[in-house]
Amino acid sequence: MNTIEETLWNYIDGNCTADEQKAISALIARDEVYRLKYNELLKLNNEFSAMELDEPSMAFTYNVIEGIRAEYAQKPLKATINKRIIMGITIFFVLTLIVLLAFTLSNIQLPATSIPANVISSVKIPDFGKYVTKPVIEGFVFFDVLLALFLFDTFLRRKNFQREV
Amino acid sequence: MQSKLSDIELIEQTLAGNQQAYADLVKRHQRFVFTLAMRFAKGREDAEEIAQDCFIKAYRSLASFQGQSKFSTWLYSIVYTTAMTFLRKKRVDTDSIDDENTFIQVESQVSSYDINNAENKSRSFYLTQAIAQLLPDDAAIITMFYKGEQSLEEIGHALGMEANTVKVKLFRARQRLKEKLERNLKHEAKELI
Repeated sequence: MNTIEETLWNYIDGNCTADEQKAISALIARDEVYRLKYNELLKLNNEFSAMELDEPSMAFTYNVIEGIRAEYAQKPLKATINKRIIMGITIFFVLTLIVLLAFTLSNIQLPATSIPANVISSVKIPDFGKYVTKPVIEGFVFFDVLLALFLFDTFLRRKNFQREV
Repeated sequence: MQSKLSDIELIEQTLAGNQQAYADLVKRHQRFVFTLAMRFAKGREDAEEIAQDCFIKAYRSLASFQGQSKFSTWLYSIVYTTAMTFLRKKRVDTDSIDDENTFIQVESQVSSYDINNAENKSRSFYLTQAIAQLLPDDAAIITMFYKGEQSLEEIGHALGMEANTVKVKLFRARQRLKEKLERNLKHEAKELI
C-alpha cells in the first residue's frame, strides 16, 4: 500500500501514469494534508537537485593520464621479455638454418682433382638430397603452421587477460 | 576549455590513439565520479584514489564499451564496483560497512566540523553534512538520481539492481536524508539559542 509520501514522490519524479497524475493533482488541489506534504517534498526535491558536486584536486586529470601512460609504457618491455615468443622465434630460425644447411650440403659437388684422393675417400658427405623429400617439406610447413597458431593463441590469450583486468 | 564532442566521439578518438580525447572525457566526468567516490570513502584522499582508479580501469576496458548504455552509466558501474572493493579492503579496520554505528563516528565528526563558521551554515552545507551521515548505498543512489542524470533503470544497471528495487531504495534514502537534515537543523537551532 502506498503512503502519501510515496505517492507524492512518484508524482514529483514523474513515475505515474497520466490517470494517476490527474488523480494526484486533484488530491493536492482539494486536500490540505496532501497539499502541505506536496509543498514540503517539492522544497526538499529542489534542495536535493541543487546539491553541489565535490571538486577533485587540480592535478586529477593529469594524474589519471600519467597513470595510464605509466601502465602502458611497461607493455612493450613485457612483450620483449616474453620467453615464449623468444623461444618460438629461436626455434623457427634454428630449424630454418638446419634445413637450409642440410639442403646446401647435399647439393655440393666438390672437384675431385683439387683434393687428394685419400682425403676424398675418407670424407663421406651424407646425401642430404634424399632426406629433403615431400613428406619432410610438408612436415616442416606443418610445424611452421603449428608455431604460428601457437603464437596467435598466446597473443589472443594475453589480449583476453588484459580485457578481464 | 572542455570539448564539445559527445562522449561517444571522444571514446572513438581515444580508441584511435588520441589520449587528449580521453583527458577531455575525464575532465567532463571527474566531478561526478569524485563526488560518488566521496559517498563511499568519506575522505578526499581515498575518494581521489578510487576515482583515479576508475578512470584507469575505464580506459583499459574502453574497447569493450559497446554504447548500449550511456557512457556515464557504464562509468558509474565501474565506480560502484571499485568503491565496494575499496570498502571491502577497508573492512579490516572497521567492523562492518552496513553497520549504522560505523557512521556515528562520521556523524559526530561532521556535527562538530566548522560549527562556528557562519558562512558554511547554509542549507547546502547542512545537506552535504546530512548526506555524509547516510549509508554509502543511500548516498550513492541519491547522488546518481539528482546529479548523475540517471533514470531508475540506469541506476539499476550501474548498481546491478532492478529498477523497482532502486525506486524503493531511493524512497527510503530520501526519507533518511530528510530525517538527518531535520535533526541537524534542530540541533543547530538549539545551539544558537
